[in-house]
Amino acid sequence: MEVKKKKDLKFILTDILLLIGMLLPIAAGLVLKVLTEPASEGISITGANVYFTIKMPIQDLPISEAQVNSVIVVLSVFFLCLFLTHGIKERPDSIRQHIAEYIVEQVSSLVSGNMGERFSMFAPFVAAIMGISVFSSLLTLVGLFPPTSDINITAGWAILVFILITHYKLKCGPIYYLKGFAEPIPLFAPLNVIGEIATPVSMAFRHYGNVLSGSVISVLVAAALQGLSAKLLSWLPGALAGFPLFQIGLPAVLSIYFDVFSGCLQAFIFAMLTMLYISNGFPEEDYIARQRRKDEKKRRAMAIQAKLDAKN
Amino acid sequence: MLLTEVQSLDIISVNIWQILISLINLLLLFLIIKKFLFKPVQNMLAKRKASIDADYEEAAEMKKAAAESEKAWNMKLEGAQAASDAIIDEAKRSAKHRSDEIIAAANDKAAGIIRRAENDAELEKKKAQATIRDEIIDVSTMLTEKMLSREINEEDHRELISSFIDGIGEDDGHDS
Repeated sequence: MEVKKKKDLKFILTDILLLIGMLLPIAAGLVLKVLTEPASEGISITGANVYFTIKMPIQDLPISEAQVNSVIVVLSVFFLCLFLTHGIKERPDSIRQHIAEYIVEQVSSLVSGNMGERFSMFAPFVAAIMGISVFSSLLTLVGLFPPTSDINITAGWAILVFILITHYKLKCGPIYYLKGFAEPIPLFAPLNVIGEIATPVSMAFRHYGNVLSGSVISVLVAAALQGLSAKLLSWLPGALAGFPLFQIGLPAVLSIYFDVFSGCLQAFIFAMLTMLYISNGFPEEDYIARQRRKDEKKRRAMAIQAKLDAKN
Repeated sequence: MLLTEVQSLDIISVNIWQILISLINLLLLFLIIKKFLFKPVQNMLAKRKASIDADYEEAAEMKKAAAESEKAWNMKLEGAQAASDAIIDEAKRSAKHRSDEIIAAANDKAAGIIRRAENDAELEKKKAQATIRDEIIDVSTMLTEKMLSREINEEDHRELISSFIDGIGEDDGHDS
């Protein structure tokens, strides 16, 4: 009995530590933001604040809010994963295990449904894309700079996806891949190249643009509403003149749309596009035919080798 | 660390290193999610599936064993039924036999008793007849002696009367 109690205590302590690990990065980000927030003068739409700059070969690396916040997201998701799978059992007795199972099963079925069983190992990758995208966008809810409204962040993801697409397109050999650009006629080659490059660029800009436009519209609407209330209430005496009457409900509704809905939707779109591009880029039938040809060749070579050995 | 001069990036400022860091971040998160979310959950699911499969197998085996033992018990039960029927028949037969024997013995005994009783009665009767005859002879002899006095030889008369009464006794014996 005592041993069990002790174990329970240890379990609870670990839980608390994991929760702290989950929330601490966000809190640290908030503190950093509060400490470094420049005094705002009216409406200003700028990129991320730069904390410091590291000298690097080609280009200096500015460590900005976007960088810090994406590290925060990775850390938080890491602890969230640990928390969800902490004390996992064959017979589930906790809600978090149901959540973990639900996430895994949903993502797995989504991936096998969209990409086929061959790509079932992509489930964690798709989950990672969704997770990092959703949590990055949702950082606006706690007042932090969303990393997804920095083009570099989304471009990094899109380039990784592009590398994967190209990897699967190269599965049939480089000649097959280059031949793919000359279809349907060789004259189309430049267009095909542009189309190829447009894939990551469009993915990166779509996500970045959606999140940034949400922030911009939110800022503009907030400023406009502030102006409107100032105009309408200016005849009132004292502090009442500055009462932000119109800023009471509307920004919240806009935030739900632009931050929550749009953030989740863009994450989903990014993940869907990743899955579709990768599975469409993979020429499955040709790949299987090629594998068969290779096997045939190998078998023939082995047969010839065996014949030579027999002769000797 | 309160920075008085915080610079901001432009809205669009492409930086190779930032792109690279973001790419590595995503890879890192992929590895984290694979190792710390998918792997434990999938391991657990595989274990659960294995244990459920084992349970089902065990249940099927138990069902089979139960059916077999039921069959065996049914067969045994049928055998027991037959055996009990046989035992009852045997018992009935032996009881009947025994009761017949007892009845027969009792009948014999009764017949013996009756026979002996009859014999005894016969004997008694004969004995009584003999006694009565003797007495009659004595009485008649005495009477005749008195009546005839010494004229008649006692020995002759006894002979005569005895033969006479014998005749009567025999007649009486036949009649009775």
